[in-house]
Amino acid sequence: MISVTPTAVADSPNKIDLNNLTPEQVALDIKNLNLYYGEKQALQNISMAIPKGQVTAFIGPSGCGKSTLLRCINRMNDLVDICKITGEINLHGENIYGRHVDVAELRRSVGMVFQRPNPFPKSIYENVVYGLRIKGENNRRVLDEAVEQALKSAALWNEVKDRLHESALGLSGGQQQRLVIARAIAIQPEVLLLDEPTSALDPISTLTIEELINDLKQQFTVVIVTHNMQQAARVSDQTAFMYMGDLIEYNDTNTLFTTPSKKKTEDYITGRYG
Amino acid sequence: MDSLNISRHISGQFNEDLERIINLVMQMGGLVETQLKEALESVSQGDEDLAKKVLSNDYQVNNLEIVIDDECTRVIAKRQPAAGDLRLVMAIIKTIADLERIGDEATKIAKVTLESLTSKHKELLLNLDNLGRRVLECLQLTLDAFTRMDVDAAFKIHQIDEKIDREYEALMRQLMTYMMEDPRSIPQVMSVIWSARALERIGDRCQNICEYIIYFVEGKVVRHTSVEDMKKL
Repeated sequence: MISVTPTAVADSPNKIDLNNLTPEQVALDIKNLNLYYGEKQALQNISMAIPKGQVTAFIGPSGCGKSTLLRCINRMNDLVDICKITGEINLHGENIYGRHVDVAELRRSVGMVFQRPNPFPKSIYENVVYGLRIKGENNRRVLDEAVEQALKSAALWNEVKDRLHESALGLSGGQQQRLVIARAIAIQPEVLLLDEPTSALDPISTLTIEELINDLKQQFTVVIVTHNMQQAARVSDQTAFMYMGDLIEYNDTNTLFTTPSKKKTEDYITGRYG
Repeated sequence: MDSLNISRHISGQFNEDLERIINLVMQMGGLVETQLKEALESVSQGDEDLAKKVLSNDYQVNNLEIVIDDECTRVIAKRQPAAGDLRLVMAIIKTIADLERIGDEATKIAKVTLESLTSKHKELLLNLDNLGRRVLECLQLTLDAFTRMDVDAAFKIHQIDEKIDREYEALMRQLMTYMMEDPRSIPQVMSVIWSARALERIGDRCQNICEYIIYFVEGKVVRHTSVEDMKKL
């Protein structure tokens, strides 16, 4: 009788051990993060390590804190007056909430894409080079190259290469969302945050974006918030389930969707009331 | 039913779908149990009518397998079950395949009754009685464990199969001796051997079903694992 553990055979080749990540494998190290909106605590002592070059999904019911946590990663919550944050989020071993951190610089390293596509009312080309122009890049050849690269990475190049100078607002919703992703990756961030990037899109555009996410992880660390559990199951390598500001379970996606260890996770992903 | 924890979905329709499937599996289990019981009875009493009944009822087992398969496919397509629900559906799909095969084995046993054996050779069939009783009990316990999704019972039944295997081997030795002593009896003894073999296979299939129960409840894969390794899991 062969005494192998069958589960070990079924593991995916790029599975990593979340509890034993080496410093080189970690893109973001979140430690004891608490967030308060006034009196209300929206995140409770969150600690987790987000691995490099992988897709990490945050799932949970509305108001569980998943978008809040995502926004913490590029300090979007700074814009909320009543918001107070304790704890750390380390990028390259440096706390992004540290005193001397340049927030604009941070947001160049950590790009973000929102639920509704928000292209600027400019041409497709100008949308993509927007971040580079802000950085002071004006060399036409460099910009052309960046546009082609970013649009190719965002799987949009073939559809728009002949109308780069037409308005971005003439694109379909799915194309606009891919354009926004191209804009975010044109400045070569390390981390890409996606906040429900397909919730305003039709199923076919959604699948295109999901395919794109899979390609993007070759170059970037992707963190995605989604209401669509099947989407999390399809696109992510690891999934974090949050509930009422707590991180309930964080595990590799295959395990979380087949044999979750916490009852709350099981109830949520199987559509039961707790 | 509630031990399966299926009645708490927000979607009442999903609850109903799963309950319907589970009821069908119970129905199939009951039918297979009756088939085996009657097949064994037909052998021990030489009741040819009963044996014919077993053969003609096998289509019902086959039909149920197709119906349940179909229901499971629909649930996967429409509900995309996850976690425990997914494991339940997977366990059911595999369980009904084994139940269907148990049904086939029962018909093989019943066929022996219809063979023209001399009274001397009919005595041989008595040898099957003990093994048959143990296998039937094993099937009943398995179906019971399935109904309650009882992991402890599943672990115990898993071990009963080892006893069945030992009894089967003992019976084989006995029948071999018989054939060696009287080579003319080989054709008749062979039909008893086929029946014994069918019973032994039923034991294996009960063991499979127990493994699916453990997979559903614990999320652990214990197939192709020795009893010693299973205890460690």
